Amino acid sequence: MILRRKKLEATVPSMAMGDIAFLLLIFIVLLARARDDSHLVWQPATGSELVKPANKNASVVIDKMNITYLNGRPIQNENLSGQLSALLGNLPPGSRTVLFKVHKDVVAEHFEPAIESISEAGGELHHVLEPSTTTETP
Amino acid sequence: MNDIAFILIVFFLVCASVEPEDGRSQTIPSSEKNEEQSNAQSIEVGITPSTVTINGTPYQKEQFQEKISQLLIQKETESERIVVVKSQADVSYKDWIAMTEIVEKSGGIVTLLLEEEQTIIVE
Repeated sequence: MILRRKKLEATVPSMAMGDIAFLLLIFIVLLARARDDSHLVWQPATGSELVKPANKNASVVIDKMNITYLNGRPIQNENLSGQLSALLGNLPPGSRTVLFKVHKDVVAEHFEPAIESISEAGGELHHVLEPSTTTETP
Repeated sequence: MNDIAFILIVFFLVCASVEPEDGRSQTIPSSEKNEEQSNAQSIEVGITPSTVTINGTPYQKEQFQEKISQLLIQKETESERIVVVKSQADVSYKDWIAMTEIVEKSGGIVTLLLEEEQTIIVE
């Protein structure tokens, strides 16, 4: 009697691939959200003749609870200048833009020291504002 | 199902990435530069929640725009056009932005005057 050896088939379970891709995507999305500042709550002040920043190297946010964040992570004002200097490194002038996003009702006591720190670090300040809706009457 | 979930995630990602970035660039002179230029007589603007002053004289917003333009038009050099902005601790960011916008549109260079914290030990 001849016994035939069973052929072993090595197949990739294609059904599981979709689930793996899905989980990977969720992981990447969560990672990206932890690094940016889109989760922070702030309302911009209004301004006119607004322009887009030429580049963006860092973002400083002061939210409605008066908490300062550097690239989405909370930071003490005393450490802001040092951390920004490290981030900006030796970038040439014109490429040292720091987006400054401050909630419209935050008071000078909180935002002026942050402006000073950005200036100390050699950052080029770019206030993020929203266009004012009022039109000037002649 | 997976395809739908994938498309939904891409949609949310695209929506999340559209963040407002329009605004106004501002050059704050460095403190060393300020010290050098402190000899030149610069204009001092004081901002409080209710008033705005130029060299101590209070003005309404409309008057302020007119007065600061008049003062800055006489200034020729960059160091003369420096406007020292001194804000009270309770001035909101929206008011500060509005006032500094007027100064910059009139040709002024905004610099800040912050109160220094000093610790005095009493024995």
